Amino acid sequence: MKKSFQASAISDQRARKLTLDRLRQHPHAPKWRAQGEDRVQADDLAWLDSFSRQLTRSRKGWGPGKPSESVLEWIEKARVTTPYHRARIPSHVRLPEDWHDLPTMTREDVALHPEHMVPDDADLKRMLVYRTAGTTGHAILVPHHARAVASYQPMMEHVLRRYGIRPRFTAQSVACFLICSQRQTVTWAATLSYWKGAGFAKVNLNPSEWPTKESPQKYISELAPQFLTGDPFSYSDLLRLEVPVRPSAMFTTAVAMRPGLKRRLVEQFACPIIDWFSLIETGPIGYACPQGDAYHIMPHDIHVEVLDENEHPVPPGVRGEITVTGGRNPCLPLIRYRTRDWGTLDFTPCSCGDPMPRIIGLEGRTPMNFRTADGSLVNSADLSRILREFPLVQHEFRQKADLTCEITIRPITSVAVDEEQIRTALQKALGNLPIELRQDPELGNELHTGKVISYQSELMVND
Amino acid sequence: MATLGCVMHSEGPLLETLTRRLSECPPDFLLEPFAMEKGEIHVDAVVSDLIRDLGGKRLMVHELEIFGAGPSQKKQPAAVQVVKRLQDLKMGGASPQNNRIRLILVASWLLHDSWFVTEGTFAREAFVLLSKGLDLMATVVPAEKCVSDPERREELVRLCLAKLGLRPAGETGLQAQDRLTTLDSVERDRVMRKARAAEQRAHDIREAMKKKAAEEAAAKYNRE
Repeated sequence: MKKSFQASAISDQRARKLTLDRLRQHPHAPKWRAQGEDRVQADDLAWLDSFSRQLTRSRKGWGPGKPSESVLEWIEKARVTTPYHRARIPSHVRLPEDWHDLPTMTREDVALHPEHMVPDDADLKRMLVYRTAGTTGHAILVPHHARAVASYQPMMEHVLRRYGIRPRFTAQSVACFLICSQRQTVTWAATLSYWKGAGFAKVNLNPSEWPTKESPQKYISELAPQFLTGDPFSYSDLLRLEVPVRPSAMFTTAVAMRPGLKRRLVEQFACPIIDWFSLIETGPIGYACPQGDAYHIMPHDIHVEVLDENEHPVPPGVRGEITVTGGRNPCLPLIRYRTRDWGTLDFTPCSCGDPMPRIIGLEGRTPMNFRTADGSLVNSADLSRILREFPLVQHEFRQKADLTCEITIRPITSVAVDEEQIRTALQKALGNLPIELRQDPELGNELHTGKVISYQSELMVND
Repeated sequence: MATLGCVMHSEGPLLETLTRRLSECPPDFLLEPFAMEKGEIHVDAVVSDLIRDLGGKRLMVHELEIFGAGPSQKKQPAAVQVVKRLQDLKMGGASPQNNRIRLILVASWLLHDSWFVTEGTFAREAFVLLSKGLDLMATVVPAEKCVSDPERREELVRLCLAKLGLRPAGETGLQAQDRLTTLDSVERDRVMRKARAAEQRAHDIREAMKKKAAEEAAAKYNRE
């Protein structure tokens, strides 16, 4: 028995190696911009299994008000171990009684002093750092953790099951492709321990990344990932390229997907298109209910509330800013984190059977397409990538109907920025279109939430 | 905090009287304490005389052993000697154990003030104070400073009074506690160490973030 177990482990290892080689060395493989690796450790696997079980077992509805016992317990630890929370939460605040006295936090807090967000006991060796896409503000650095990132896998699996899909992960199969369509992004391929060594790749549909014009079609269809993740912009490119792939589902992330594109994707790929509401700072928050437009809150270990501009909770059904507490990122414990996304909360039971409350009318992540002088599309993620290199708190970028652009920037206080350098960098992506740039050190201050609309376009957007 | 839990229920002498007495501490009390056949002043004898003058009984041999200056550094392993030497430098040349004994000497001089001798009731409290009540302060304040530095003089006076259950004449218990907290070297040292550790941690995190942001390729399964 022991011998056959060992033999099977060895054959799994071999299969995993073969899958990785197939992903990386396929004749039509794209350029790999990074090695990419599965950072899951042996002890993470047991934790991930337990988390996966809890995702199902701990799902229960809640009403408006205070968080669950387990979230409160988590806050009590975070307020003691995290420098930022220690300094901000007065010692007299008692939970749950004083829940509404807890101060809220924003992306600016994370942007300005990320080092104060990391708890004293967080293991820096396992810390990861991501940059936000900058869809709802200037891109920022976010401390993350390998285990917390791996927890996305059981969550995706859970949602697939909610859609009646039961993927079979083996070391011989390819689990998932993350599809991008950007001027530049990091691409990589790996096999994933939690999914039994199944393959994963992040690919960029930009033609300059592939050996031949037909390579994206051949590579993606031959590797046959079981499901895809991507943003609406990438999926619209996937449609254009007519990639003959048959995924069992497509997760759509980052920005809202418009109904027209969704319809066309369903027609072309004949699979569910699953809206996934997730921020790097918070991790996954919600997924689209299979029976409606609302988003069910995804993990059991977060508390979601909706606040008005004065940080007061609004009644169910009233629109406000979605605010998140909890999660499982040991390097960034969030307490009442204002997401800059807006919606209402619905606590009534849902016919789909998921008892978790729903977010209705989610907005704040409207996709923006921009065009270069010759008419090519430019993803707002590319502009974010450029702008994040400059010391800005936030920005407002707008393209007018005549293609000319305007940008207002708010530099980090007392840091000088080179306006010409910013303009030149943007023009490189936008094909030398005229760009009017101005600085406003108080950009966003006139708004209650400090929130600005980072990208706006007067161009007609084709679904 | 060095004085946590001290109840200053009775009024003691004037603060200024005692701080002046400290400033006039004879140089003999700052001489090298006698230990391992070296040194010039026998601390155990000084303490023994003090306790007797404060109305106490003659101290037993095991009680006097507390006031020994500790083993010679020559007997310590080389690494320990280096660490001790570094600590010595911080303490103005005295090892922590040596500084403790020196501080006991200075405090003995202070407690030999006529106010305490006349009262004749502080022998037990004084013995407890000298045997362990100065240990924490001795880790952060060189004994000489308790003579030469006005703030440290006041701190030692207030600490000794508090440990004897006294407050300076003319002060309320709250005022006395408040002032002692302000002067507390041990607490200040703890806060500074904590601040330094926090700054070091923040620096480490900033460095780690810089390094890891450059790696960027860490596994992530969707855009957000």
